Amino acid sequence: MMMFTTKMCQLAAVVLEQDADNVTKELLKQGVLHFVKVTEVADDSGNYLANVLPKIPQSKIADTRKRIDSFFNIVEHNPVDVKDLDVSKLSPVDIEECNNELDLVASGLQKMRDKQKSIQQEIHKLEEIKRQLALFDTLDENIESGKKYAYLSILTGKILSSKEEEFISSFQSVPSVQIKLGQQGDFITILLITMRRDSLRVEKLLQKFEWEEMEMAGNIDNLGINAKSEIDEKIADLKIRQDETAREAKEYVFSRKEFLENMWSNLRMNELFYKIQSFYSKTSRTMLFSGWLPASKKDSLESSIMKITEKRCYLEWSDPQEIKKINKKDPDVPVKMKNPGFLSPFEMMVKNYAIPQYGTIDPTPIVAVAYLIMFGLMFGDAGHGFVFAIIGLVGTFITRKESGSGANKILQLMIWCGLSSVITGILFGSYFGQRWFKPVWFDYHGIIAGHAESGLITDISGILLITIYFGISVIGLGLVLNWINCISKGNWFKLFMDKGGLLGGWMYGAGTYAAFYFVRHDYRTLPESNTLFFLIGLPAILFMLKPPLEVYLHNKQHPGNPRKFTIFSLMNFLMDWLVEMLEIFSGYLANTLSFMRVAGLGIAHVSLMMAFDQISKMVTGGEGGFNIWSILILVAGNVLVIGLEGLSAGIQALRLNYYEFFSKYFSGTGKAYAPIALKGNS
Amino acid sequence: MIGQGRLKKYAFINAKLRGRIGNILSDDVLTNMSKTRSLGEAVRVLHDTPFQILEEVYNRTGDLKLAELELYKKEIELYHEIERYLSGEVLDFVKALTGRYEIENLKAAIRLWFDRVIRKRNIDSLTGYLFREKIHYDLHVDQIINVDSIDGIVDVLSGTPYAQIIKNNSSQLDVSRNLFPIEIALDRYFYKQLYDKMKKLDKMDFDITKRMLGVEIDMENISWLVRFRDFYKMTMDQTLSNMIPYGHHLDRKALEDAFNTGDSTEILRSLISKKYTALSSMLAVQSADNQSKLVLLGRLLDQVILYEVKKVKGGYPFNIGIVLAYFVLKKNELRKVMTILNAKYYNLEEDRIKSVI
Repeated sequence: MMMFTTKMCQLAAVVLEQDADNVTKELLKQGVLHFVKVTEVADDSGNYLANVLPKIPQSKIADTRKRIDSFFNIVEHNPVDVKDLDVSKLSPVDIEECNNELDLVASGLQKMRDKQKSIQQEIHKLEEIKRQLALFDTLDENIESGKKYAYLSILTGKILSSKEEEFISSFQSVPSVQIKLGQQGDFITILLITMRRDSLRVEKLLQKFEWEEMEMAGNIDNLGINAKSEIDEKIADLKIRQDETAREAKEYVFSRKEFLENMWSNLRMNELFYKIQSFYSKTSRTMLFSGWLPASKKDSLESSIMKITEKRCYLEWSDPQEIKKINKKDPDVPVKMKNPGFLSPFEMMVKNYAIPQYGTIDPTPIVAVAYLIMFGLMFGDAGHGFVFAIIGLVGTFITRKESGSGANKILQLMIWCGLSSVITGILFGSYFGQRWFKPVWFDYHGIIAGHAESGLITDISGILLITIYFGISVIGLGLVLNWINCISKGNWFKLFMDKGGLLGGWMYGAGTYAAFYFVRHDYRTLPESNTLFFLIGLPAILFMLKPPLEVYLHNKQHPGNPRKFTIFSLMNFLMDWLVEMLEIFSGYLANTLSFMRVAGLGIAHVSLMMAFDQISKMVTGGEGGFNIWSILILVAGNVLVIGLEGLSAGIQALRLNYYEFFSKYFSGTGKAYAPIALKGNS
Repeated sequence: MIGQGRLKKYAFINAKLRGRIGNILSDDVLTNMSKTRSLGEAVRVLHDTPFQILEEVYNRTGDLKLAELELYKKEIELYHEIERYLSGEVLDFVKALTGRYEIENLKAAIRLWFDRVIRKRNIDSLTGYLFREKIHYDLHVDQIINVDSIDGIVDVLSGTPYAQIIKNNSSQLDVSRNLFPIEIALDRYFYKQLYDKMKKLDKMDFDITKRMLGVEIDMENISWLVRFRDFYKMTMDQTLSNMIPYGHHLDRKALEDAFNTGDSTEILRSLISKKYTALSSMLAVQSADNQSKLVLLGRLLDQVILYEVKKVKGGYPFNIGIVLAYFVLKKNELRKVMTILNAKYYNLEEDRIKSVI
C-alpha cells in the first residue's frame, strides 16, 4: 500500500573471507542494502568478532577523488554525470600512484599559472608608469622644474637599430616604456620612460646598449599622451596573452578529461567498496555483514549472493515484527517512501519536515492534495496559475539534468501549484484579475467589491466559513491518520488517551458541534447541559485517568524502575490534566482558526488585483479602454502579484501542513533508507 | 525591555550581519584547503564560497597576491556598506574602525619604501599590490614608495594625521634601523581615535566595545611584548613605553610581570586559567623554542578573542556587539584563508599549516 512506508526486511549474512570481495562488488552493484554494523544487531558479537579494516582508508580515496573534482572545476565539468559507473571495471587502486599522476597534472597547470603571474608582473610595472604619467598630466610644471613629484625619468636617445629587440627585452625587467620616435641611418631614436628609483639599473642597461642621449624635442604633453596610449596597448596585449594562457590551462585539463574521468570512476567505486567493507566484521575465516533492504528486493539479492558464493554462505532474513518480538523493542528500521515520481516535490516537503517512523503512514499523497487545495484557494486566478505553470515547465526543462535537485523539484511544484490555481481561477472566474468568463463556483471579485450577484457564496463571511470547514476537515483527517498509525504500531494507550487520540477527537468533534450550534443560534444558546456534559464533560473527566494510567503502565513495563505514588503525585496528575485540557481547548481552536489565513491570502490577492485595475482605469481618465500606461500598470501589477502572492501562498500552505496537519499524526522519528549504491549520495 | 531606539538602530544591521556570519567559511573548508597538495587545488576549494573571487582572480592572473588585494578591496567595500546602515556616534565609531585598513595600507607602503631606500632592495614586483583607493584620506602610496627620504613621506602625507606621527618618530628610524617605532605609533593612534569615538557611545555599547577592543589590545600588547623582549632585546622600560593603552585585563603591573617571567606565554596562561576557564584545555600544549612559543601565543590569543565573540553572539542582540563580532570573525577568516594559501605556495605540510590556523 502506497499509504504506508515500504516494507523492509533485515539481512544478516556470513560469507567466507575468500568470497568477501566478490560479494561486496555484488552488493555495490545492486545498491539496495542499508548497512548496519553487525555489533549493533547482535549485542554479544564483540566477544568473538573483529572489525574489518579497509586496505586503504576511505578518506584517502575520497581526498584523491576530490582532487580530480577540483580539476574538473576549472573546465566546469560535473564528474557526477561522467558516466554510469560499472562495477565490472572496478580495479584495485594505488593511491600514491594516483596522487603522483595528479601531481603531474597539477604541476603542469602550475607552470601555466606561473606564466600568467609573470605576465601580471609586467602589467604591474606598466601600470605603475601609467599612474605616474597621470601625475605628469596635472603636475607638468613640477616635472619640468624637477621638483618632488618627478618620480619618472624621461630620456630621449638613440641606439643601433639592430639592437632594438634586445633593448626592449632587457628593459622588461624594469618598469619602463620605450617609444620608437624615428630612424636615423643605422640608429633608431627612442623615448624611454622609467622610474627614477631604478636609475642605477637603467644606467647600466643604457651603457650596455651604448645609448646616446639626445635633447628632448617637442611638446611634453603630447609625449605623455603617446606614452599612455603605448602603455594601454601594451597592457591590452599582455591581458590577451594572459587570457590565452588561462585558456591553455583549461585546454590542458580538458585534454586529460578521459584519463581523469576513468581515475575518478575507479576511485569512486573503490571508495564505496571500502565503505561497504567498513561495515563488515570477521572471524578467522568468515566475514559477517548486516543491513536493511526493501522486502521486494530480497529474492534478487539472495539469489545473487548464493550464485556468487556458490552457496558457501549463510543468509538470515528477519522481519521487523520478529525482531521486535525477540528484542522487546522497536528495531531502528530505515524508512523508504514509495511514491510515484510526479509526487517527488511533495515527498521533498515531507522529508524537509522529518522522515516518518517506519510502519506509519507516509503522508506524501495527502500532503499533495491538501497543499494544492490550500494554494489554489489562496492564489485563485487562472491567468496567474497559467504563468506559474509555464515558469515551472520552462524551469524544469532547463534543470532537467539535475532532476533530483531541490531547485528542479521546486520548479515541478510550481507546475502543480499553477495547475491548481488555474482550476480555482476558473471556479472563481478570475483571469489576470479580470472577469472574462462567468465563475463556476462563486464570484470572488464580486464579493470583495461588494456586488456579488450570483454564485453559491455571496459575502466574505461565506469565504471565511469555507476555510473553517476546510480546516476542520484537514484536522479531522490528521486525527484519523493518527488513529491508523496507533493501530498499526499497536500503541493502544496513545490511541485512546492522547490528545490526538480517540478522546481528543471526541472533544474536537464535540467542540466543533457546540461552536456551530452557538453560531446557528445567533451566538446566544449553547447545547443542552446534558448534551454538553456528554460531549465535553465526559471525555474531559476520562482524560483525568491518563496520568495515573501512564504510571501504572510504566510500572508494569519497568518493574525494576517503578514510579511511586505520593500525595504529590496526585497534585502532579491534576496539573497534568489541567495543562492537557488547556492545550486541547486552545490548541484545537487556534489550529482551526489558523485556516482562516487561506481566506485572508485569497482576499488579499483579489484586493491587490482590484487595486491595480482601479489605478489603470484612473490613468485612462475613467473612460474605460486601455492606453500604454494602463497596460504597463496592469502588467506590473500582475507581475508583482504573481511574485509576492505566489510566494506567500506557497509558504502559508506549507506552514498549515507542517503545523496544523502534521502535528496531529506525524511521527517524524524515522531515519532515511540510505543504501550504499553507485548512483546517489551514498 | 528593548529600547525603541536600540531596536531601530540595530535590528536591521543585526539581522544582516548574523546572516553574513552564517556564510563565514566552516572549519571543514579550511581543513580541506590544508589537505590539498598544491596551491591551485587549495584555491579551487574556495569555488562556490564567498571567496570565489579569489579563485577567479587566481585563474585569470596566476597571482595570489593580486587575488588577496581583491579580497582586501571587497572587505573595505563591506565596511563602507555597513557604514550605510548606521548613523550618529555608531557610524563614527565604525568609520574609525575602518581606519585600521588605511593604517595597514600605509604601513605596507612605508615598508616598501624602507625596503627600497634603507635596505636597498628592488621593490618593482611588489608595488602592484598596494590599495590605491581612498578610505579616509588620500595617501598617495605611489609617491610614498618613490620618495628618497622619510621627510619626503611626511611631505606626501601632509594634510593627514599620519604626517605628524611619522615626523615625531622619524628620528628613531636612524637609531633603530627598524620600522616598528613608526608602526607602533600608528597602531597607538588607531586605538586612540577609536577610543575617542568609543567614549561617545551609550553605556551598553561602550561597555561592550571597551571589553572587546580591550581584549584585542591585551593580545596585541602581549604579542609585541614577546617580540620586544625576545627578539629586539629591549629593556622593560622601553618595552612598556611602547605598549598600547586601553587594555582590558592587562594593566601595567601585569605587563611588567609578563616581562619579568621566564616564559612569555605564562602571562596568557595565567589569564586564561583565571578569566577564561572554558579555554583551559588549551593550556596543556607546551612549546620549547621562541618561535613555537610565538605560534602558541598566537593561537591562544585567537581563542581568547573568539571566546569573547562567542559571548557577544549569544548575548543581547540589539547593541554594537554583533558589528564588532562580525569584524573580528571576518578578519580571522581572511587571515586563515591567506595563511593556508601562502603556506601552499611555499609547499608547507598539512600539519604545519594546521598548527598555525
